[in-house]
Order: sequence, then structure tokens, then C-alpha cells
Amino acid sequence: MWWSVALARTKQRWLPALVIPFALAMAVLFGSVQAGATVSLPPRTADEILAMIARTEVRALSGTVQQTAELGLPEVPTAGPGIAPGAASALELLTGSHTARVYVDGPLKARLQIMDRMAERDVVLNGGDAWFYNSADNSATHLTAPAPSVADVRESLPAKPGPDAPSDMPVREIPTPESMASHFLAAIDDSTEVSVGESSSVAGRSAYRLSLHPRSTETLVDSIAIDVDSETGVPLGVEVRAKGQAEPAYSLAFTELDLSTPDAALFEFTPPPGATVTETAVPAKPVPTMPAPEDAPTLRHPVITGAGWDSVIALPAGSAPAELTSNPQLSQALQPVAGGRAVTTSLMSVLILDDGRVYAGMVPLERLQSAAAQ
Amino acid sequence: MKEPVRSDPAIETHGLVKRFGHRSAVDGIDLAVPRGTVFGFLGPNGSGKTTTIRVLLGLASANSGDISVLGKAMPQALASVLPDVGALVEGPGFYPFLSGTGNLMRLDAADRHAPSSTRRHRVDDALERVGLSHAAGKKVRAYSLGMKQRLGLANALLRPRELLVLDEPTNGLDPQGTREVRSLVRSLAAGGTTVFVSSHLLAEVEQMCTHVGVMSAGRLVAQGPLDELRAAGQAHVLVHTPDVERAAHVLSRLGLVPGDAPGTGSPWGTTAVLGTGLDGLEPEAIVAALVADGVRVRGFTVENASLEERFVSLTGEGFDVVG
Amino acid sequence: MSAETAASRNAGAPRQGKGWALLGSELSVLFRRLRTWAMLTALAAVPILIAVAVKLSSRPTTPGRGPLFLDRITQNGLFVAVTALVVCVPLFLPLTVGVVAGDTIAGEANLGTLRYLLLAPAGRIRLLLVKYAGAVAFCCAATATVTASGALAGVVLFPVGPVTLLSGDTISVGESAWRSLLIAAYITVSLLGLSAIGLLISTFTDVPVGAMAATIVFSVVSQVLDNLPQLEWLHPWLFSHHWLGFADLLRQPVSWTSFGDNAILQAGYIAVCGALAYAKFSNKDVLS
Ligand SMILES: Nc1ncnc2c1ncn2[C@@H]1O[C@H](COP(=O)(O)OP(=O)(O)OP(=O)(O)O)[C@@H](O)[C@H]1O
Ligand SMILES: [Mg+2]
Repeated sequence: MWWSVALARTKQRWLPALVIPFALAMAVLFGSVQAGATVSLPPRTADEILAMIARTEVRALSGTVQQTAELGLPEVPTAGPGIAPGAASALELLTGSHTARVYVDGPLKARLQIMDRMAERDVVLNGGDAWFYNSADNSATHLTAPAPSVADVRESLPAKPGPDAPSDMPVREIPTPESMASHFLAAIDDSTEVSVGESSSVAGRSAYRLSLHPRSTETLVDSIAIDVDSETGVPLGVEVRAKGQAEPAYSLAFTELDLSTPDAALFEFTPPPGATVTETAVPAKPVPTMPAPEDAPTLRHPVITGAGWDSVIALPAGSAPAELTSNPQLSQALQPVAGGRAVTTSLMSVLILDDGRVYAGMVPLERLQSAAAQ
Repeated sequence: MKEPVRSDPAIETHGLVKRFGHRSAVDGIDLAVPRGTVFGFLGPNGSGKTTTIRVLLGLASANSGDISVLGKAMPQALASVLPDVGALVEGPGFYPFLSGTGNLMRLDAADRHAPSSTRRHRVDDALERVGLSHAAGKKVRAYSLGMKQRLGLANALLRPRELLVLDEPTNGLDPQGTREVRSLVRSLAAGGTTVFVSSHLLAEVEQMCTHVGVMSAGRLVAQGPLDELRAAGQAHVLVHTPDVERAAHVLSRLGLVPGDAPGTGSPWGTTAVLGTGLDGLEPEAIVAALVADGVRVRGFTVENASLEERFVSLTGEGFDVVG
Repeated sequence: MSAETAASRNAGAPRQGKGWALLGSELSVLFRRLRTWAMLTALAAVPILIAVAVKLSSRPTTPGRGPLFLDRITQNGLFVAVTALVVCVPLFLPLTVGVVAGDTIAGEANLGTLRYLLLAPAGRIRLLLVKYAGAVAFCCAATATVTASGALAGVVLFPVGPVTLLSGDTISVGESAWRSLLIAAYITVSLLGLSAIGLLISTFTDVPVGAMAATIVFSVVSQVLDNLPQLEWLHPWLFSHHWLGFADLLRQPVSWTSFGDNAILQAGYIAVCGALAYAKFSNKDVLS
């Protein structure tokens, strides 16, 4: 019949309009399913995986790490088109998503590149030299210290100085999954239940998943998962889940990883012409503005009450830096509570009393308040 | 190689329907255009001529019906048929910022089968044929309406064609241009090209066409050879005389129907009487009867049926467009 | 006779060409238009304006204020091109590409040439492809114009020397020319999705101005949505999402992730919009 032919022709012509978007949707779906697919690996016990991590012989790597934080903090306006990112405050790294490239060659050579939009912050460690470079304002800081280790320098990264952030305000920069994992693994004790989860694929490598569950019911932390490369034992990703939150509260994982030795030229840093260079001989131990449990060793006279996951860190009066309240972006995150202010996130709480005492912990705010009341 | 004489029509449709929304612009027409003819496609404004042409050439799709052009089913065989068809559809369309030559070069380049080696030559030839050689380098922006129309015709003539479809080709042309088009069409037809011309200029169609189809409100109300269509109309006599009443009396006695003649009178200041229904009557017998009754006959003409009358009788007297 | 004409066509004219002539003709029509030249001239003026303004201004630019690298132009003229591209990407380039892509089919329909192209016959799919190729050629020309004019203005007005990358490393002038080309290529790729959207819209209307405006509005809306944190889930799917990601080409070593992601995203837009445009156009009644 003429009309069925006409209809068939019309249908035929509209076919690609349906088929191509459908095929693309399927490809996207399949791709995301594939990414989350479990991989089959010979079974290992938790102790064996822990031993793998300890025994890892990887000394050099280059890779890209992605950090995502869903802590429930207010979103800080990040750099838009044409806006230099220096204006963003210290909080910026604790919200949203950040990507960084990491190059490591042995314990003395490392480079971290935080890839901001249209800008970059670099940390270059080479033996006794440490360079911090911020492309937003073309400033470089040179630290000379008797052979600082990668971990030491990571603790003392300078802030991205900008109009709002005083240049001496320290910021916690993106660490590697490896260093994050070692923090948590070091804290494993009786209060933590360690188990082996389903293995998965991270940065294109098959990985065992180590799960840490706090035995305590008081803490905000629900679980911590560490993905360990099945071949080399390098931690590839860390994921922290908070109670009552579907998405991970914090995750840090390689998206790309190459275990060959990076180009040596990467660790040779010469400040570019025109950059403002600051020379510092001894790295001053900074006071973190966002105390986190892993900061404990660097704090001044901290008092720790409680044990394991429930522990509360208390700082004596006068500890709270003045910028904390004067900085508009920081004060935005602070909510007024009885006798002071507090920051509550899905993983931890910080209580800053009017007298300057600071309490922090991976526990609900009420526990901090009761600790402060004692 | 001797090609058998093609007897299949150049254009043939069966029950062709094209609707715009709920309105049928073309309402089930069965068109048959024999090969080698000059086919006049007539119809009042809005009767569906241009729409039919668009559907025939695959610019618009039919809602139903079969079409074959040059013996091939359309629109399936569009790609193989169109190179043999030259067309001017609803006026010319050109890039105002290109010259006449530039426009034709572009349209010729669009046909992947058109040899590029002869392109320039063919373009110049076509411009020559429509008398545009002198304005070939001018930007089309600076062309007059008639010049654009000529350029449109040149585009249809870029390559040897088996079928020419011309939608109101003489629109906007000066008398010389109109004559030129007429002779062009005749010479093309003499060369074996089938020409399908849509028009509402009846005089033009009468002079040019061998076959005619008449559209009215989306329907094809008549089609066939021009003479057949005209013969279906009635011949009439025109009498120039000062004795109008007596003449009318004589004519009606002879079985003719007298009426007012068109026009305001004869060169002698007389009024004419029109008689229709000239069945079997010899004209000289009429004159004899008139003279015998003392009618002063100053002029006498026998007129064959005109296409205009036939057209009006087929499509109605009303001036308003059927919409 | 008709038999004769058909025979002479078959014999005399070798059935040649895959139809590149139409592409050539499309490009020549596009680049012979005054409008195209006006747009390219306007784009070329952007880096010149920036360079002259910086040159004439007595106040040194504060680092971190204004578009990327604005403060470094005085030290190194090679930054003019990059700064100009940063300025052009959000609005000027989409504007000009929107005009060209929105005009593809609707412009021909408006002039009445669409029916004659189809009657030639150009073939609907072929015409669509050639039109898209024309829009792509314009994308290349537009980014190349900004880059070239920026490089020229920079070299003429400012000293030229090794270029500092975002990572703080310095590269030679030759290497920086290579990176500029990469950035131009990146931005060209960025504009391909928008061109496909313009082509699609253009098949839906006979009014070119409408199609152009709609295309430009799309590019603005996409960028606005990309800046709304509430719609984070949508961001990776917006065609403008990676538009400013060319900064990754200014890192040491070059990070190709953005380039790849951008190319895949734009290819997706081309496939989807192309399929829809094909479906719409091959069914379209050409009544203009
Ligand atoms: N694009 C359109 N949308 C809706 N209706 C249309 C369209 N084009 C034509 N029509 C309708 O179709 C009918 C036939 O129009 P068409 O143009 O075929 O007439 P035509 O015979 O060519 O008239 P003319 O002698 O004035 O050129 C008219 O009633 C017209 O209103
Ligand atoms: Mg018409």
C-alpha cells in the first residue's frame, strides 16, 4: 500500500534520530556499569592485604588523583571564567571536587600539581629544596630545610594567598591516597573492625578493598574503604562514609596511575621570570584552621579525651585564630551555638567557644559540647 | 544505438494528495503529461499548481498517491531523475552577494554529476540563451525582477534536460523576454524536451502549449490536448450593426442565443450582438438572413471558443481566491 | 531528441567527482560573504584592543585580577593570544559560530536557494554534511584569527621571550607557538558541538535570524547552567563544560584529559544533533 510505504519511509528516516542517541545512552550506561564492575581476584585476608601495603616496593609513580568532599559544608564560590582562583578561601579544598597530578620518585623527589580552573598550585620537593608555586598571582615560596620528607612538607603547605586569605594561613593540600591510607591504617586498633570487601577496578587496575568499620556507635564515621592495588600493594583510593549519607563524605583516588619513573626535569624547579619569590629557611609549623583528627600531632598542647573514633581534641583558650571569624567565607561556615560557634560536617564537628577554646572530633556536636562543659 | 520511442508519460500521478494541516492543497489529482509535449498547467491563484510541482520534484512529500517522473517512481528515484530535470519553482532564488555567473556556478557544483571541466562553458552558454551575458558579472543584488527571472531560467537550462518544469516562467518579464521565453520553449520542445509550464496567463499558454491541465481548488478539473479542450467550448458570431434589436430578433429566430457583446462597440460606432450555439449553421446563411431582414450588417465575425471562456467555465467566475 | 540528450550526457560527461565541488563552492560562498569577513575582523580586533589597552594603561595590572595572564602581557607579548582566547571563548566565539551555524539551512531556505540546491540535486544528506563542514571551517578560521592576531599584536607591542606555564615551568618561544596552536585546536573542537546544535536548529526554521539567536541563547544558557552548583549532575553533559579546559594545555607536562573529555563530549553532541538534523531535514517539506 502506498501509505504503508510512505509511513515506512518516514519511520526509516527518523530511525537514526532514535538509534544514535539510544546507542550513546547505552554506551554511557554500560561504561558506568563497567567502571563500577567488580573484578575477580584470588581471595586474600585482611592481614594479607595489610602486609601487601607494608611490603609495597613502589618508589616512583606518576598519576592523577581526584578528591571529592561531600561534607555538607557550604559551597565556596570557586574560580569562574576569568577570575583568579586566589580569592577562594581555605575551605575551598574541603568542598566539591579537586584534581591533582602527583609525581613521586623516591622519598626525596615529589611534585604535586593542584589543577585549578585556569590556574595551578604546585609543590616541588627535591632533596632539601621545596618550592611552592601559585600561578594565580605568579608567586613562589622557597623552603630550604635539612631534607624534609614528602609527608613533612605536605603538612606545611602555604595557603594560596589572595585578597581574603592572609598569606601565612596554612591550607591542607590534596594528599595522595597512599598517605591518607597510612593515616587510617596507623589508627587501626581494637576500636576498628577490619574486613575485606568486594574487589573493584581503580584507575584501570584491579584492586582489593579493605573496609574499616568503627566499633563505636558514637562517631560520625560509618566506614572507611581503602582500595589496594592487587599487583603492587599501593593504596589506590580511600573512601570515607559518614552515617546517614548515601554518597561518600570524602574520597580520594587515583584516576590515572603510571608506575614508571617520572621525567627528572619535573623535579627541577626554577621560579619563572617576574614571579615574586619568598625565601624561607625553616618551615614554620603552621596552625591549621580546620583541625582534623589527623592534624593531632601538629597541634599546640592538645588534650585528647576519649579513645579511638570517639576521641575529642581540645585546645586551650586563645587557640582560635582571629582570622577564623573575620574571614567572611569562613564565618559563613560557622553557625552560632550556645557559648560560641560551631562547624558541623558530616564527618566531624568543631566547636569554637567565645573564650577561644576549640574542641574537635569525628563525633556529633553534642559530644563536643558535653566535653567542653566538663 | 536506436532508442525506442518512449510512450510512457513524462509525468504521471495517481491520486496525489498534499495536505497542509487539514486543508488539501492538492486533492487527489491524476496528472498525465505525455513526452515531448508542452504542457500548460493552468489554475487560479492558490489552486495548487506550485504545490503540485513541489511534490513532483520531491521538495515536499505527498500525503498519498503515486508519482512517476520520466518513468521512475518518485521520490525514490529522486537522485537519478533530477539531473535530467530543469526547474524554476515559484520564482528564482539566488545569493544576492554573488554575481549571476557565481550563482550558476554554485548551483551547478551542487550536482555531483555535473562535470566541472565544462562548468564555466555551460554557465556562459545558459546566460547567453536567456540574454544575460552582459549582466553576468553583476551582483544579483543589483538585478531587476525580470533579470532574476531570466537567471532562474538559465539555471534550468544549465545542462541538457529531458524535462523542464517552469512555474510561471514569464513572471516579471518584458514583452521581448516573454517572446524570448516562448521561442525558447518551442525550440526546446522541438529538440524533444518535455516542458511543463504552470501559468495563469491564458494567452501565453494558448500560444505555447500543446496540452493543458486545469487546476481548481486543488483538483485537476480538465486535461488533454489544447485543441480538444478548446473544442469543448462554443463558437460564436459577432455582428457589428446599428440595428441591434432587429439583429437579436433574427439571431434568436435562427436558434442562436443573443447577448451583449464584450467591448464598447465597433469602429463604426455600432453595437454588436453575440450569438452562441453555432450548431450546424453556415455563417453565410446567418449573414443572408440578417440582410434579408434589413439589418445593416457592418461587420461579421465567427469566433472559435477561447481558452479563457473554457477556463472560467471550469474554474468559476468568482474573483475571490478559494482558500 | 530526449534519447540524444540523455546519451550525450552519459557519454560526454564523465560521471566524475565525489561531489567535492559542492564543498569548495560552500567554502567559497562562506568566505566571500561580507558578513563572514566582518565577524572575523571583529574577532581579530579583540586581541588588538587588549594589547593596545594594556600598552596604553599606566597602571600595572594586579595579578589575579582580570582575565588569565592579563598581568603578564607587558612582560611577554606571547600571552596576548591566550588572554584574547580566554576573553573570546565565553561570548564572542559562540556568537560568531552561532551566526554561521544557525544560518546553514535556514539561510538557504530564506534566500530560496535551498530548493534549487535540492533540485540540482545536491542530495539532502550531502547538503547537510557540506553545510556542517562549512560551519567547522568557520570555527577553525575564527580561532585561528584570534590566535594569529593576538600573536601579531603581542610581538609588535611587547617584548617576547620564554613563556611561563601554569605549572611555573618556562618554555621556549617555539614550544609556546606549538602550545598556542594546540589551544586553538582545543577551542575549535569546543565549538563543534555548538555548530551541530546550530545546524539542528537551522533545519527547523526558514528564518535564519531565529536560528542564530536560538543557537547563541543555547550557548549562554549552557554556560549559566554550568555555573549553578545545584545542577552539578548536569555539568559533565553540558557542551560548554570543557570550554575553558584548554588551560590544561598550559601545564607541564601537558594534561590531555580535558582535550580527550572535550573531544568525546563534542563528538556526542555532533552524533546526536547530527542524527536529529538528518531525520528532520530528510523529512522536511521545502516550502520556502
Ligand atoms: N507553506 C504552506 N503552508 C500552508 N499552506 C500553504 C503553503 N503553501 C501553499 N499553501 C496553500 O496551498 C494552496 C495552494 O497553493 P499553491 O502555492 O500551490 O497555489 P498556486 O496554484 O501555485 O497559486 P499561484 O498561482 O498564486 O502561484 C493555497 O491554498 C495555499 O494557501
Ligand atoms: Mg504558484
